[in-house]
Amino acid sequence: MAMTQFRARALLLTPAGLWYAALLLLPLAVVLIFSFGERSAIGGYAPGFTLEQYANLPARFAAFRNTMTLAPLGTVASLLIAYPLAYFLAVRVSPKWKTMLLVLVIVPFWTSILIRSYAWIFLLGGKGIPALLAQIGLDDVRLLNTPFAVLVGIVYGYLPLMVFPIYVALEKLDKRLLEAAADLGTPPWRAFLQITLPLSMPGVLTGSMLVFILLMGEFLIPAILGGGKVFFVGNALVDLFLQSRNWAFGSAVAVALVVIMLITVALYTRAVKRFGASRDDVGLM
Amino acid sequence: MKNDTKPISRKAFMEELRRYEKGSVTRRHFLGVTGLGTAMAVMGGAMPGLLPTRARAQEIGDRVVLATWPNYHDPANFDAFTDATGAYTQVNVFGSNEEMLAKIQAGGSGWDVFVPTNYAVPTYVEAGLIEPLDLSKIPNYDPAAFDSRFADAGTIDGVVYGVPKNWGTTGIAFNSDKTGGVVDSWKTFFDGARDQFDGRAMVHDYQLTTIGNALVYHGFSFNSVDPAELAQAEKLLIDVKPHLYAISSDYQPAMRNGDAWLTMCWTGDGKQMNSDMPEIGFALGKEGGEIWSDFYAIPKGAPHKEAAYALINFLLDPQVNARESLAHGYPVADSRTNALLPEELLNDPILYPAAEALAPLEFGAAVTLTDPNRAELMARFKSA
Amino acid sequence: MLDGYADAGNTMTQDHDMTQSPTDTRQTVAEFVGATKRFGEVLAADRIDLRIRRGEFLSFLGPSGCGKTTALRMLAGFESPTEGEVLIDGREVGGMPAYRRPVNMVFQHYALFPHMTVAENVGYGLRQRRPRLPKHEIADRVIRALATVRLDDFAQRRIWELSGGQQQRVALARAIINEPKILLLDEPMAALDAKLRGEMQRELLDLQRSLGITFVLVTHDQEEALSMSDRICIMGHGRIIQVGTPQDLYDRPRSRYVADFVGKANIVEGQIAARHSGWAQAALGNGVHVLVQDEPDDTRTHVDIAIRPEALSLVRRSDPTPAATAALPAMVTHRTFLGDHTEYLLTAEGIGTLQVNAPRAAERVAGGHDVGAYVHVLWPEQTGLVLAADS
Repeated sequence: MAMTQFRARALLLTPAGLWYAALLLLPLAVVLIFSFGERSAIGGYAPGFTLEQYANLPARFAAFRNTMTLAPLGTVASLLIAYPLAYFLAVRVSPKWKTMLLVLVIVPFWTSILIRSYAWIFLLGGKGIPALLAQIGLDDVRLLNTPFAVLVGIVYGYLPLMVFPIYVALEKLDKRLLEAAADLGTPPWRAFLQITLPLSMPGVLTGSMLVFILLMGEFLIPAILGGGKVFFVGNALVDLFLQSRNWAFGSAVAVALVVIMLITVALYTRAVKRFGASRDDVGLM
Repeated sequence: MKNDTKPISRKAFMEELRRYEKGSVTRRHFLGVTGLGTAMAVMGGAMPGLLPTRARAQEIGDRVVLATWPNYHDPANFDAFTDATGAYTQVNVFGSNEEMLAKIQAGGSGWDVFVPTNYAVPTYVEAGLIEPLDLSKIPNYDPAAFDSRFADAGTIDGVVYGVPKNWGTTGIAFNSDKTGGVVDSWKTFFDGARDQFDGRAMVHDYQLTTIGNALVYHGFSFNSVDPAELAQAEKLLIDVKPHLYAISSDYQPAMRNGDAWLTMCWTGDGKQMNSDMPEIGFALGKEGGEIWSDFYAIPKGAPHKEAAYALINFLLDPQVNARESLAHGYPVADSRTNALLPEELLNDPILYPAAEALAPLEFGAAVTLTDPNRAELMARFKSA
Repeated sequence: MLDGYADAGNTMTQDHDMTQSPTDTRQTVAEFVGATKRFGEVLAADRIDLRIRRGEFLSFLGPSGCGKTTALRMLAGFESPTEGEVLIDGREVGGMPAYRRPVNMVFQHYALFPHMTVAENVGYGLRQRRPRLPKHEIADRVIRALATVRLDDFAQRRIWELSGGQQQRVALARAIINEPKILLLDEPMAALDAKLRGEMQRELLDLQRSLGITFVLVTHDQEEALSMSDRICIMGHGRIIQVGTPQDLYDRPRSRYVADFVGKANIVEGQIAARHSGWAQAALGNGVHVLVQDEPDDTRTHVDIAIRPEALSLVRRSDPTPAATAALPAMVTHRTFLGDHTEYLLTAEGIGTLQVNAPRAAERVAGGHDVGAYVHVLWPEQTGLVLAADS
């Protein structure tokens, strides 16, 4: 009986297990093996076993530092813009308009991030916002190819990923809890801090996690809006694999990035457990 | 200068956008980094309806896969090739020799023809990734008609691995309205970038030219891998970095809209910008810089080798090659082809600089492609 | 409408306590004065006039959509009247937000804060006081409130660890800890099973008596209203239909609506033959005359008469008819034994269907009646009631 059950379960899990192995574990194993190898003389990978690549990680310290600065900053900036938007959509907008406004939030997502980032080149470039600022007397403001431009691109590009989890959390929020708070003497703004905000934390955490993890691997936006001067780990990886073809070192950098991501996810899971008020509210990824 | 403080009008925006599209889509770096070129090629290959089938197809196969640089061909020539042979040309576009090499090294590229630059050829030979060419299958290649300066790099130890496609230079494009005159030295380029052109200069996102030109600034060889010389180049680059507008090989858009005033620039881009905006000029660095030559070659294990020979031979036909040159604006080293080109193109100082301007230029050396120190220097520069 | 209560043309909305002075806040804790609430086209509350007495247990009873919840929400401050006034302690509170009102509510599904412990939920209202109360005072009062609802050991539990009944007590403690002027209860038992409901009802009553707080309950459950309330306010279509004590409403429903809603009633048609000071001689459909209660100023000749099933009794046709009782010939169509009584459905000639509840004690003595038996339904004089016309 137990054996049959075991077999049935094994059988049912096989397809998922194979997918998991083929698409996640195998590539990860390859990257791990490469990271202990060497760069061949003409570039690429040469087998070997050395910790040299890991010892060399400090050579990409600046890339990690930039990433670990702009990723949290971008996440927080996205959150600050996404939360009021999600709140507005979930709580304030009449159901009549809700669907349309939600679609409007998604629509930009159907366009390549590449195209959307390019649009920002116009807005931030010399004939865009700086030209408008010049008209009110602020001359020679440079926005494009700065960390600020990268931040703008990041916030813009990742906004829907932040808006939706928060929207869902706020949408699920029982409006009677706010009535209860008001009934117990809480003015609306305080009710927001005491009830709405804590109960939307699973959404906030999920959104932040999605944005943060993706930001850590980001390379396109810094390349386009940072003018190549803002260098993320993602850019370091692109260069290591496609330009200098130092696959062994690239793999070591990738492994380091994955480790940082795993640590972040672990911290996130703990945070969710703390904020997860009721069991069915916990928004695990 | 006068228009700088006015916001862009709608009409101007659309013009800008069109220029932009034109400029950006031709950029190697852009397509390379984004993988858009590959995506388009894959899509083309995935739709069999797009592939013409002809009776003659069985002779050389129904397709040939070409890995090349962006906007480096006249599409009409591919159509003519299909009409002539029944084989469809599937084009994969790449951003750099390094990237092309990475792809071939990774294996299974599926390419039949590719276009390595002179300094990359020895590496392909060394790694056994390139096929020696059977010249009997390329009757249109007449070594006597080609300027050996641009043809020699295709031959290693007497074996021909590549036949010349085009050549060009890497110089300086400058907006004379802003710079107040010609910029024709790397000294003016790098010193000006930190002074009168603060925030207006662009360097390539490419180790060969960016490091090479910084070396030339100091009077060293463009190809140096000497640690002491590289250290000086690095110091210059890191010193200049905060003053740069961008580190990008996608420089046409910024040059065209006036945000950038001067940039490292390849011949064809210089010609394109100069044609549209005469105030943008192109000059070679007095101290030196890069001269280069691209080759048609066949990678080891090409799946449609016969078709590859047929395509190379077809593209080297002087009539066809002349149409190519007219389309992309890069000079050809084939005297038969040049005989067919209009006089004003042959006299264009951007395409064909005076001999004394060319004299100090250097061909890129194979060692720069594989030298790990130059790669690391570039990474330090970009992340500084 | 000037004095706020008597809508002279509509006796049904009239309160029984019109003798009170309108400003006597010693006796009146809250008051609706012509309070009307419209949601777009929908008239959710229609000219509600009602005084809530200090310390009483008042229930709003009615089916869903009758306006009882709207009335409660106007009191809580979640809705403000479109027209008319709501007063608490003599002060007009129409524009006062909920968080300023000295009333607290036990919500239908409790609306407990899921991210707080039981103690945090209960102490929530006290923590909102400005100036702030000392922490130890809040802690003490939380302990006392939890003791009041017998949840002493549950202070640190999470809400989702509690049963429905326990959650309800937390909701109760969370409200009463604030010592509200009025405790509002919105269908508080709806989510509980029948057994637990009875238990909670008794506890709620005990609590109300010991605290002396005015309770206002909204319910659609007539038994709940009857068993707990000092007074019941029956609502329908946004209006107050009748207000009175449970006995009042049961014994003297003024309309078919109330008679139907409170308890079970037989309603039969009658033709008034004679009237005399609150009594009427009415001829039923079969020609039999009964003496029933009537409003003194009623002038209708064709009326509905209500009589409770337990007021009627059955005898065999051959049995003698007692004095001051009308005997209606009928045939038993259904018989349902219900333990303490047996429920009979009969077809009475010229009248229609009648229900008669016979107590078990009487059945034991006289024996029951089989389906198909021809019997007499006995209608004692002065037990029926002429109903006012439904509006």
